[in-house]
Amino acid sequence: MTAHIVGRASEIAPGDRKIVDVAGRSIGVFNIEGTFYALRNVCPHQGAPLCLGSVKGTAEVSRAGEYVWGREGRILRCPWHGWEFDLTTGESVFNPHRTRVRRYRVTVEDAADSARDASVETYEIAVDDDLLVLHV
Amino acid sequence: MDVKAAPNPTIESAQAGASGAARRRTGIIDVDVHPVPRSPDEIRARMPMPWRDRFKGERRSFFLNPVHGSRLDSMPGGGPAGSEPDLLREQLIDTYDVAHAILISRTFCNIHPDPDYGAAIASAFNEWLADTWLTEYNPDGCFKGSITVAQQDPLRAAEEIERWAEHPQMIQVTMDSGARMPFGQRFYHPIYEACERHGLPLAIHPGTEGMGINHQPTPGYPTHYVEWHCAMSFSFQAHLVSLLTEGIFERFPGLRIVLVEGGIAWLAPLMWRLDPYWKALRSEIPWVRKPPSEYLHDHVRLASQPLERPNDDRQFMQLLEMVDAERLLMFSSDYPHWDFDSPTRAFPKLPDALWQAIFRDNALAFYELEV
Repeated sequence: MTAHIVGRASEIAPGDRKIVDVAGRSIGVFNIEGTFYALRNVCPHQGAPLCLGSVKGTAEVSRAGEYVWGREGRILRCPWHGWEFDLTTGESVFNPHRTRVRRYRVTVEDAADSARDASVETYEIAVDDDLLVLHV
Repeated sequence: MDVKAAPNPTIESAQAGASGAARRRTGIIDVDVHPVPRSPDEIRARMPMPWRDRFKGERRSFFLNPVHGSRLDSMPGGGPAGSEPDLLREQLIDTYDVAHAILISRTFCNIHPDPDYGAAIASAFNEWLADTWLTEYNPDGCFKGSITVAQQDPLRAAEEIERWAEHPQMIQVTMDSGARMPFGQRFYHPIYEACERHGLPLAIHPGTEGMGINHQPTPGYPTHYVEWHCAMSFSFQAHLVSLLTEGIFERFPGLRIVLVEGGIAWLAPLMWRLDPYWKALRSEIPWVRKPPSEYLHDHVRLASQPLERPNDDRQFMQLLEMVDAERLLMFSSDYPHWDFDSPTRAFPKLPDALWQAIFRDNALAFYELEV
């Protein structure tokens, strides 16, 4: 696993995303309420650019006739066929154990320490304008 | 449904899917592609009064997809999906090396109670298609067109077929499977007579079931979009049984029909049901002079999308054999709609001859196309 600096934390506001190309892969980096998540930008169904999809919540499994809205801001929906994935796990909503998209670890690193090259040990801190490091 | 995820694509193919950059030279034929006007004004401009004043670009107003009706990446600059030829070429024609895309306009003209209004919508869409996608956007002849007819008035529909039959890029007629009566009934004869006379296949496409004046194919209205969408294949089954039992292919021996977006998996059991009934009841329909399923090969083709794919690929291969896919099936993507089937990902790996038949040869022969 190699660490790749993919930008600054301040570039991606909560609710926003950035698509990056790292190690030959297209990857979407998402900010959900200040925490960053990264998923492969390829839907496991038919190869669509998954990370260009909408990010909303979903109607969770419920009793017949009831609607329970949940996971607001965490559900990525494929722009082609509409399959839903939980951004925090990469798991699909309809079959979390068998249908999932590859998830990568993202860390936020102190910009002052950023003399480091792209193969460093990582640690997590929460300072506004620090570096986003993707572990692929 | 327990959907089995397809194996992860290679990095190369994944990037091709995301960017459209890579090319796999296949020269396939896609028999169901939907171009859309940039604005209703493009249609209105081709309508005489009073229709120009009335038409607002209305489509069906119920059973709209609650998520999104078209691929979100197919909407150029926020415009309608499928409205920009450059983007369509990039995402479909170039990405998958489509040699010919057969264009079917989604006009929703057959939901209207006024047959003249329906005909005016169909007519204006035909003129728009001919002016734009079949000429201005079509320097390489990749796009082939469908003459849309409003079946509320089959005599008027036949006139519309006459109007476009000699157009070099119009290669078939199309009407919606949403209907007031099954398609074997004699009300529709003028449409079939015109198709036969000009050697034009008739493509039947879903989307107006239960809309406006049309019946639902279910015993009553379905509650949800998912239910309505799934049940659209019922109307294709009903229309096909009607066409076969009413002897349409005996009355019009040159007529050929394509069932587009109506499914394929039901075909085998439906024929296993109909053929035995015919043995006992053929005297009720004495004009049906051979087992009904035997008319399929000479007269009927099916488009593949939305492909019904079991979790087990062995079962899928058996299904293709049961529906005689090597002779009857033609690939379709339904671009840019939400249930688009990718030419490289919708099917499992097929034997070469079968792939060649489904993705190229069946359509080339049926439409008498050259590549």
